Amino acid sequence: MILIKLALRSLYNRRASAFLTLFTIAISVMLLLSIERVRVDAKTSFSNTISGTDLIVGARTGDIQLLLSSVFRIGHANNSVSWSSYEYIKHQRGVKWTIPMSLGDSHKGQAVLGTSADYFKHYKFAKKQPLSFRDGHAFNHLNEVVLGAQVAQKLGYKLGDSIIISHGMGNTSFHHHDDNPFTVVGILNATGTPVDKTLHIPLAAIELIHGGTGGHAEHEHEHEHEHEHEQHSDLIGEPKQITAFLIGFDSPLYTLQVRRNINQFKAEALLAIMPGVTLRELWEMLTIIEKILLLFSMVVVLVSLLGMLTTLLASLNQRRRELAILRSVGARPWHLFTLISMESLLTTFLGCLLGCGLFYILMSLAAGYLQAHAGITITIAMLSSYELMLIGAIMAAGFIVGLIPATRAYFYSLSDGMSIKI
Amino acid sequence: MIDIEELSFQWQPQQSKPTLAIPRLQIAKGEHIFLHGPSGCGKSTLLSLLAGINRPTTGKLSIFGCELNKLSNSKRDAFRADHIGYIFQNFNLLPYLSPIDNVTLGCQFSKQRQQKALTCSPSLPLEAARLLNALGLDNQFHQQNVANLSIGQQQRVAAARAFIGAPELIIADEPTSALDTNNRQSFIALLFAQAQAVNSTLVFVSHDESLQPLFNRSIDLVALQEQI
Repeated sequence: MILIKLALRSLYNRRASAFLTLFTIAISVMLLLSIERVRVDAKTSFSNTISGTDLIVGARTGDIQLLLSSVFRIGHANNSVSWSSYEYIKHQRGVKWTIPMSLGDSHKGQAVLGTSADYFKHYKFAKKQPLSFRDGHAFNHLNEVVLGAQVAQKLGYKLGDSIIISHGMGNTSFHHHDDNPFTVVGILNATGTPVDKTLHIPLAAIELIHGGTGGHAEHEHEHEHEHEHEQHSDLIGEPKQITAFLIGFDSPLYTLQVRRNINQFKAEALLAIMPGVTLRELWEMLTIIEKILLLFSMVVVLVSLLGMLTTLLASLNQRRRELAILRSVGARPWHLFTLISMESLLTTFLGCLLGCGLFYILMSLAAGYLQAHAGITITIAMLSSYELMLIGAIMAAGFIVGLIPATRAYFYSLSDGMSIKI
Repeated sequence: MIDIEELSFQWQPQQSKPTLAIPRLQIAKGEHIFLHGPSGCGKSTLLSLLAGINRPTTGKLSIFGCELNKLSNSKRDAFRADHIGYIFQNFNLLPYLSPIDNVTLGCQFSKQRQQKALTCSPSLPLEAARLLNALGLDNQFHQQNVANLSIGQQQRVAAARAFIGAPELIIADEPTSALDTNNRQSFIALLFAQAQAVNSTLVFVSHDESLQPLFNRSIDLVALQEQI
């Protein structure tokens, strides 16, 4: 007991340098925990981007490129899938549903996706969660648009607003189609996926804003979506080509077979990927960055502990008199050993505690930003067992580092006894 | 009470001449001893032996019947905690403790001294305050930062720490060398008064022979060793 009291008093007496040491440890703990938490949550958010889809089909390119362009709206698919191929594959055995996707347009920098109403029924994210509407409903007419949560929030749109969609990517598009305003009829709930940053319009409308045929309404067709037959009741139309499409099967057993067939499709060079597999491949590519980050934060922890070692060793020589006084009142060498190692343990412990506090503050401050800009949903939960293990490892390292000055104190007290040689 | 016979001590076994060699020395209980000699004559070594920091290489060293030369290191540490109060030359105090805490530190490592201290006062801080007052340090200084105390005041705190729990032997290693003559005399008077009050034996080391008349017995360490 007396030793804990002495250690605390002694630390308090050197509070300026002790606090700096403690603070560097806290910062390093905060850094390590933050990197670890963001890494885990990024991975979860990442693999939650799409689920329930068995295959993504697009023009032949790289697996990852197809995934990036179709799911993450990153990059631009140069080639497309012809409508006839889509129609052919759609009618293969075992295909339960398909979602055609046409990308490449934008509205104020946000991606525009032309798709069918099935999108809102079959597209799933996270643990097979379907999309849900915060306000309104899916589009029923050609000039209606459904907004992702973030688009609505960022651009301040609400139901009934009229917006213009331009051709091409980017904020400043020369080719505005002022004659084709869209009405906001639905706003989706936030998903933490790129869906939030997307404007959804009927596939046929894509053709329209490109100044295509414009006469969809005159066509006759037998699509099942024809509920209320108005001027623009056909939301799909017959585009020449689409960017990609998603397939869901009656049974996952069809997946490999159909995938092989698509990849060997004679009429057109197509590529079918299984999103789960490709997501994992993509993540694997990123692990090196993840590992480097982790390595860096470990180096920071190491440096902070070495800082503590330096401070303790530097002060130890000045404290030989203190050790002699303690010896004179009957403290044994191992008491002094305990005293010094307790000081380092206390510093590390308080540093870890402060670091956890800073970590939570940082995470709650950064959560909104990460959600908005990286689509990473940060979970402000209790420390995971792995994170606790990291803290435990830091404590252990702090303790081991503290053994060095403690051992010196032990031998000082043996050699000096009570005659102080300074 | 202190009984030394054929004692010798050397730091390294291969040393040709022992650092300290005392054929015989006896000190009775309650005596106030003035131990003097020039620098390098082995004063510090003798004190480290008396305090149980080091063990004699040969010979017998017993303090009230307890043969220190036969005790293990940790037993000698425990013996020191229980029976010996030690006053250093200067810089006696832990800078991060108040004067009161510095005094109670004297019995933190010994149950026996804590109990003895508690027979005089209801609590350790009260006993510390009583001793500080007895040694002439008023209440107003008891919670001050020790760095703000004068050397004389610091030595009083150090003396109180040595006396708390009434150890049988007080060892003072040139405690007055940093004090001026007036302070020196009054400090020694206070030491004597306290030692007498609890019937402690006092071994006072100094090279300042002017203090010698104040003591009832003085030992010249050089002469003591030449008896061989």
